[in-house]
Amino acid sequence: MPVDSFKYLPRSIAAYYQTLVVQKADPIPWTAFSKPLNECRVAAVTTAGIYNKDSDPPFDAEREKREPMWGDPTYRRIPRDVRRDQIGASHLHLNNRDMLADVNTVLPLQRLAEFESGGVIGSLAQTNYSFMGFQPNTTEWRERYGPEVAGLLKDEAVDAVLLAPA
Amino acid sequence: MLAQEFEKAGLSTVTVTMMPYWAEKMGTPRTLAVEVPFGHAFGTPGDRDMQMSVVRAALALLEEAREPGATSEVEIEWPQPSDEARKDWQPSEPSPIIKMMREQAQARADAARSQEQ
Repeated sequence: MPVDSFKYLPRSIAAYYQTLVVQKADPIPWTAFSKPLNECRVAAVTTAGIYNKDSDPPFDAEREKREPMWGDPTYRRIPRDVRRDQIGASHLHLNNRDMLADVNTVLPLQRLAEFESGGVIGSLAQTNYSFMGFQPNTTEWRERYGPEVAGLLKDEAVDAVLLAPA
Repeated sequence: MLAQEFEKAGLSTVTVTMMPYWAEKMGTPRTLAVEVPFGHAFGTPGDRDMQMSVVRAALALLEEAREPGATSEVEIEWPQPSDEARKDWQPSEPSPIIKMMREQAQARADAARSQEQ
């Protein structure tokens, strides 16, 4: 049975989403996956708005409260061995309880590390990334932060990215 | 859309999403659809099996997809009844935009009421 995208959305938000017009990418960007998976470095990226409290500030929730049509477009680095007590969450549109209890619900670092020790993937990237998914205006993601993180991932010789919108 | 930027830069991506509707509309290179509440793309906290099965399916799509726009699904069984899950993923305090929309709706309703009087 096909996945119902609207199953867990309140009806008003579902109705709103269905009115939005989006330009479909044509052609859809494509980088063929050419290496064997067990030789690949894989990184994980989430839009759950998590951050490493020991090294970074939260996403700017205070500004979003003042400007409800703005979402913080920046990103945070999440090291592969981040500890549970280091994770902070600053997404104003989600109940952050479960991602704070277990980061794997949004950024499956320990799961990917297990696939690494099992030889399924070559390696998990040292640095993974978090964005904050409420972006009424995606210009900064497209023009600045998306390409910037792509460059950082390539600097660490990442081949493939597991990306999970929250 | 981040997937599009990464793919343009030479990275192969697989997007794990609970809204394949959106991924399809935007044109996403590889989409794994999973029917879960928002904020839980890989499953419930502590459920290693569920999380592994989603990651496994994502890696399989990465290997097997032959052309842009490829999609697949992974079946998981969410442990909460839908009505409960629909409320549980939402924040305890309404987000700023929801607050703003409600205030605007209230103001319109108040204005309509005072016009009637």
